[in-house]
Amino acid sequence: MTQIKKFFPYLISVLAAFLVVGILLWALGFNPVKAYQTILFTSFRTPNGFVQTLLKWIPLTLTALAFTVPLSSGKFNIGAEGQMLVGAIGATAVGILFKDLPPALLLPLVVLAGMLAGSFWGLIAAWLLYQFNINEILSTVLLNFISFALVDFVATGPWRDPAAGHPTTIPIGANGFLPMLVKNPPLHSGIILAVVVAIAVYIFTSKTTSGYELLVTGANPRASKVHGIDTRKMFLFSLVIGAAVAGLAGVIEVAGTHHRLIEGLHSNFPTLGLIIGLMARGKNQAVPFVAFFISILEVGGSAMQRTIMVPVQIVLIAEALILIFILLSDIIKRRQK
Amino acid sequence: MEQENVLQMQQVNKSFDRVVALCDVDFELKPREILGLLGGNGAGKTTLMNILYGLYRADSGTILLKGQPVTIHSPRDAIRQGIGMVHQHFLQINNYTVLENIILGSKVSHPLSANYQVEEAAIKELCKRFGLEIDLSARVETLPMGTRQKVEILKALYRGVNILILDEPTTNLIPQEVDSLFETLKIMVREGLSIVFITHKLREVLSICDRITVLREGKNVVSLTRKEASDEALVRAMVGDKMDLEKSVMFTSHAESSAVAGSQEVLSLEGVSLISQHKIQQLTDISFSISSGEIFGVAGVAGNGQRELAEVVMGIQSVTSGKINFNGQEITTHSTKERIAEGFVYVPEDRLSDGFLNKASVAHNLILGYHNLEPYSKKGIINWKNVHENSRKMISEYNIKTTGPDEIGGNLSGGNIQRVMIARAFSQPSRLMVAHNPTRGLDIPSMDFVYQKLLGNSATGTATLLLSEDLDELLLICNRIAVMYRGKVVGILPREKFEKYEIGRLMSGYEQESK
Repeated sequence: MTQIKKFFPYLISVLAAFLVVGILLWALGFNPVKAYQTILFTSFRTPNGFVQTLLKWIPLTLTALAFTVPLSSGKFNIGAEGQMLVGAIGATAVGILFKDLPPALLLPLVVLAGMLAGSFWGLIAAWLLYQFNINEILSTVLLNFISFALVDFVATGPWRDPAAGHPTTIPIGANGFLPMLVKNPPLHSGIILAVVVAIAVYIFTSKTTSGYELLVTGANPRASKVHGIDTRKMFLFSLVIGAAVAGLAGVIEVAGTHHRLIEGLHSNFPTLGLIIGLMARGKNQAVPFVAFFISILEVGGSAMQRTIMVPVQIVLIAEALILIFILLSDIIKRRQK
Repeated sequence: MEQENVLQMQQVNKSFDRVVALCDVDFELKPREILGLLGGNGAGKTTLMNILYGLYRADSGTILLKGQPVTIHSPRDAIRQGIGMVHQHFLQINNYTVLENIILGSKVSHPLSANYQVEEAAIKELCKRFGLEIDLSARVETLPMGTRQKVEILKALYRGVNILILDEPTTNLIPQEVDSLFETLKIMVREGLSIVFITHKLREVLSICDRITVLREGKNVVSLTRKEASDEALVRAMVGDKMDLEKSVMFTSHAESSAVAGSQEVLSLEGVSLISQHKIQQLTDISFSISSGEIFGVAGVAGNGQRELAEVVMGIQSVTSGKINFNGQEITTHSTKERIAEGFVYVPEDRLSDGFLNKASVAHNLILGYHNLEPYSKKGIINWKNVHENSRKMISEYNIKTTGPDEIGGNLSGGNIQRVMIARAFSQPSRLMVAHNPTRGLDIPSMDFVYQKLLGNSATGTATLLLSEDLDELLLICNRIAVMYRGKVVGILPREKFEKYEIGRLMSGYEQESK
C-alpha cells in the first residue's frame, strides 16, 4: 500500500506530461493516440526495437549513475559529458596503440584505460574541491568544454580517418571490440558491464560501511564529520567513482557501438542522464528503471519521427515535462504537511 | 473577594499536524500578579503564550481582555492591546545601541532626523521608575546577558504594555542576574503590571510567583496560589503519575550525586589552546584531568568556548598547542574516528546541524559514528539485521516516538531527535563521554532518565565531560565543576565547595577583570 502511495505522484506526473504533449500534438494536427502508440510500443514490437532500447539504456544508466553516485554524498557532478568523452578518448588511444594485442589483453586494457581516463577527468574537479574548496558544479561543467576540444584534437590529429567526412579516428584493434551477445539484431556485451555496475553501486551503497558513510555525508556533512567520517574524502571519492562510471559509458560507445572515436558520440546521453538522476530523486537503485523508461521514449520518439513525421523533439518536451511535474509533486507534498 | 481577571483564555485548542499541542486549556491572569506557567518541555507553555502574543493562531478558543473578547492576529495587535513578550532568544540588533534597539519600529518624534532626545528622556524616566540601570548609549553586543534581557523588558515597557510574558527568562543568566531580574519583576508588579513567567524550574516559581498554573502534555493540570503550593504537589503535577519518583535523580530527597570518582586518570588536557582559522583565540591554556567514573562539569555562559572545548576533546578540531592524553597515552593527533574506536562518545549541542541526519532513517541515525564497530558491521559490511534489532531496542528503551527504524529522521520532533542522540550515545559502551547540553528539549521524566543514565555510566567507570548551560543540572550531578569564561578555565570547584553565587561570579568573569 505504501509502495503504491509512493509511486502515485510519479504516475500522475507521467500522465499529466503525456496529456499536455497530447494536446500539443493534437493542436499541431497530428493524431496523439497514434503518436503515443508508436512511442510506447516500438520497443516491444520488434526484436530490433528492443535491442535499440537496450543499447540506449546502457549509456543512459551509466551517465545517470555518474550523476547520482556523487549526489549521494551531496556533490553535483554535471561533468558526465566530459568524463564520458575523455573515457572514450582513453579507450580509443589504447585500442589504436596496442591494436595487435590478443583479445584477452586488449579488451580489459581498453575498458580499464577508458575508466581511468574518465576518473582522471573527475579527479581534476574533485581535487580542486578537496584542496581549494572550488565548487564542483562549476569545475565539472567547465571541464566539459575542454573535453570537446580534446575530442576534436584527437579526431582530427594523426589518428584521423581521412575517408570520413566528420572528425573521426581510425578504428581500434578488432581484438578490443566488445564481443557480441546477439548477432542479429546486434547486441554487444556492454550491457553486462552496465548491469554489473548498477548492481555493484546498489550493493556498495546499501551494504557496506563506506556506502553508509557516503549516504550520511550527503544527508548531513557536518554531523557526519562530527561523528568521525572524513567527509572531504567522501566528496573526492564519490566524484571520482562517478567519473569512472561515466568513463565506462564512453568506453562502451567506442568498443561496443562505433569501434572508433567520433565527434559527438556522447549524443544527448549525459543530459538525459542528469534528467534520469533527478527523476530518480538521486536514488541509485531507481536509476536503471527510470533509464529503461526513458530509453523506451527515446526509441519510440525516433520511430515516431520516421513513421508519422512528428519531430523527435516532442519526446524531449515530454521528458522535460515529466521532470517538472515530478518536482511539482514534491512541492505539493510539502505544502500538504 | 475574588479579583477580576485582566486576562482570560478559555478552551484554547491548537494542533500542529496530528500533534495536539493544547487541548481545552483555560488560563487566567489577575492584576498585579506574577503568574508562574510551569511545565516540562512539550507541555504547551510557550505555544499558549505564542497564541496570546499573536505568533500562532488557536484552532479554537477565546481571549478575554478585562472581560472583553479580543482577536489577536499578530504581535502588533498584541502590543496594541498592551501585551508584551520577552523571548528566550532576544530579538536585538547587535551593533545598535540600547536606545536604538528600544525605539526601533516605534514612532519617533522627529522622524526625519536622528534626534532622539524626547525618546531618550522617556526611556530614562522608565528606567528610573522600574529601577533598571542601563547605559542607553552602549552597543547591545557589549552587554552581559542579564542586561540584554533588561533591554528587552524595557522595549516592552516603552511600548506601554501592562501584561508582560517572559519565556524561560532565567535560561542564560547567572544566579546574580536572576536575583536582579526578580527584583525588577517585583517593582513592575508594584507599578501595576501583570506578569506571566514561563519556566520549567520549580524553585524559581516558588520564590517569585504569586500563583502557579501547571500544564502537562497540552492540558491544564492545576492552578495553585503560592501558599497552597508545595514542592511535592507541583512535581507530581508536572511529571504525572507515570514517573517513579523513588528512582529519580532530580527529586531525590538526599540531594547527593552518587557518582564516585575513581583513582585512574582517563582524560587529561595540558595547556590546550585553540586559535581559529580567522585568528581568533578560542581556547587559552586549558588544563584539567578527569578520572574514571567522574562526572566533570563545565559551566559558563553560552559561547565562552564550551563548544570548542568539546570539539577539541573529540578531535573534530585540532589543537593549536597543548596535549591531550587518554589513559596515559597522548592522543593529541588522533582523528575523531580513532577516538570513537578508543571509546569516546559524543552528544553534540547543536542537534540539528551536528548530531542528526534529517534525510536519513532513524536506524541510520542510531548507528552514526559507531557504524564501523561490531555488532553493526564487520569487515566493512553492515549487518542491517543487527542494526534493526538494536534500533528497535533503543526505540523502546529510550521512548523514542517513531513508526520504526525505517522512518525518515526529519519526521521526528525536537524532543525525539534529542532522544535519538541520547540513545545513540548511551547504548554504546564508552570510556569517555562528552555531553553538551544533553537534556535540552527533553521533558522532565526524560531529563531524569538522562541523569540516571549518566550516573549509571559513571558506575561502570566511564569518565564524563558534561558541558551545560543549566547550572542546576551541573550542581545536581557533577563531582567537580570547571567554569569557563572567554575560552579560559577560570576556576575548578570540587563538590564540597559548590556554591551557586560563587560559580555565577566566575561565569561573569568578575575575577578576571579585577586582576
